[in-house]
Amino acid sequence: MELVPVAIAALSALLSVVATYLAVRSRDMLSAAVFSAAQSTAYALIYYVLMAPDIVLVYVPVSVGILPAVTVLLIKKTERYER
Amino acid sequence: MSDPVSLLLTVLVLSLVTNIGISLYGVFTRPSLVKKFISLTIFSDTLNSFAIALGFRRVARGYPSIAVIPSIPEDVSELRAAAGTAVDPLPQALVLTAIVIGLAVYMFLAGLIVMYYRHYGTTHVRPAEGGSIG
Repeated sequence: MELVPVAIAALSALLSVVATYLAVRSRDMLSAAVFSAAQSTAYALIYYVLMAPDIVLVYVPVSVGILPAVTVLLIKKTERYER
Repeated sequence: MSDPVSLLLTVLVLSLVTNIGISLYGVFTRPSLVKKFISLTIFSDTLNSFAIALGFRRVARGYPSIAVIPSIPEDVSELRAAAGTAVDPLPQALVLTAIVIGLAVYMFLAGLIVMYYRHYGTTHVRPAEGGSIG
């Protein structure tokens, strides 16, 4: 009964590891911001499965919406590629 | 450990530990301040996820419920039954606060990075240490 939601949480945790690795390794800051948003989406799924829907309601607008937008603005005002 | 749910929860926690390692590697070794910024957001999100995972617990039958009592309880036993199947709401309240405070801190950091770029002409950390980008 509780196997399926926990399996979804574990799968999205593994997905977030991949997204974090790609976000840290990529030279292009814009794709790093996109991978960071993907990691945040996986975390939102984990929060939902771990019975914290109030956290999801705050976390999705902040970490999938505002933070990548701020990062993209930051990249636009500074430089895009890492040297 | 033979229980598949325990195994999956272990996989979840180990993935979070791996994420902490990768994001700290990003904060410490990547030279660009924007990359440090992105890694720091991932690091703080992972710590929040640890707090949420601390509040989660497994009940004897079924799946644990949200820590909300929809109606006014008649007596203590109803309250006790609701508390017996709910997850811990205290880490969730703390994480809710931490997310909002973290957003303010990241806005401040983003402003500082823009100031750094206007002063040095790059987001590389080397000029601030007195060296040149090589």
